[in-house]
Amino acid sequence: MRRAVLAVMALALTAGIAQAAPIGIGVGAYGGVSFPILQDDVSQGPVYGLRVPLKVIPMITVEPYYLTSHLGHGEQTIGGVKYTRDGFDHTGYGVNALLGTALGLGFGLHPYAGIGSHKLVRDGTPEIKETAYNFGLGMGINAMPKISLQLRGELNMVVTGDTSRKFANATVGLTYSL
Amino acid sequence: MKNLRWILPCLALVLLAPGCILTSGQILINFDLPDVSATSSTGLIGDQVDLSTNADYKKHKDKLKDIADFAVLGTFHNTGVTDINVEVWMTRDLTVLTTAATVQSSGIKLWGPLHVPAGGSVAIDWDGSAKLFTAAGKTALLEEAKGDGGFTLYALSSGTTYQFNVQDGLLALVIDAGI
Repeated sequence: MRRAVLAVMALALTAGIAQAAPIGIGVGAYGGVSFPILQDDVSQGPVYGLRVPLKVIPMITVEPYYLTSHLGHGEQTIGGVKYTRDGFDHTGYGVNALLGTALGLGFGLHPYAGIGSHKLVRDGTPEIKETAYNFGLGMGINAMPKISLQLRGELNMVVTGDTSRKFANATVGLTYSL
Repeated sequence: MKNLRWILPCLALVLLAPGCILTSGQILINFDLPDVSATSSTGLIGDQVDLSTNADYKKHKDKLKDIADFAVLGTFHNTGVTDINVEVWMTRDLTVLTTAATVQSSGIKLWGPLHVPAGGSVAIDWDGSAKLFTAAGKTALLEEAKGDGGFTLYALSSGTTYQFNVQDGLLALVIDAGI
């Protein structure tokens, strides 16, 4: 009898926790534009990527990501002559922590921050492979079950010694809740 | 929202702790080079560069951290009868050297070689030029840029007999600097 009561209590407690903080997982794809900030030798280009939001504790969503971007040519006119420089191929992976959730129904704003390992490559420049920090604000719109529209603006900062290469990324994506 | 009380100071620490990683940029500084004419390995004429005469350089010098990209730009005319491979060397001081041998013994190879066929011209672009910089040249250039900004460039070629000139020369530096 005691075992049955404990089992029922445990079941009720587990259900309560699960209701308060349902564990969730999703997969998402996104695309947008990456704007270099204060960089004279490169210009804006497309950015694409994948995300896997994991809601593991209340109010926090952990989100591993992969990003790839092909930045545009840097263009400078010097003495009436236009010079161009190849843009970087920018790839990176890491993890962001969102305040709130990118999963579930409804509308939500979620500020986030994260860390990753990013690589910037182009001919004639030594490869830059460094730690990157992300800071952003996302807006999730769940118009239908399991699928949410994700709009995000973020600052991505690839640290290069005492300085950094910074990008403002504006993206739109879809996330599917599994 | 209580979490913000912790998150915002943590973000501020991350952003400000490493110095000026947030308030930095990659800024192009270009420095015009006079036309150069080389007639032999014993008749070189150097180009003394004083970066401190450049307003952009002076503005950012104190916060200069690194050189992110660089290029020697211009049009190389080979007026001789044999193909040449042009190199640019630098000495860390303002010097007046006239022979390739002394330049190579006391200077640092900065850039090259750029192949220019006999009687031909090559207008080197930014992408092509950036690939020709040497690692030692970058280090030396960075040290000079962080130092007094004064150095001398010499254009020369392999062999003892050659004849070329460089027009519309330009030294383009993209510096990593605080703003």
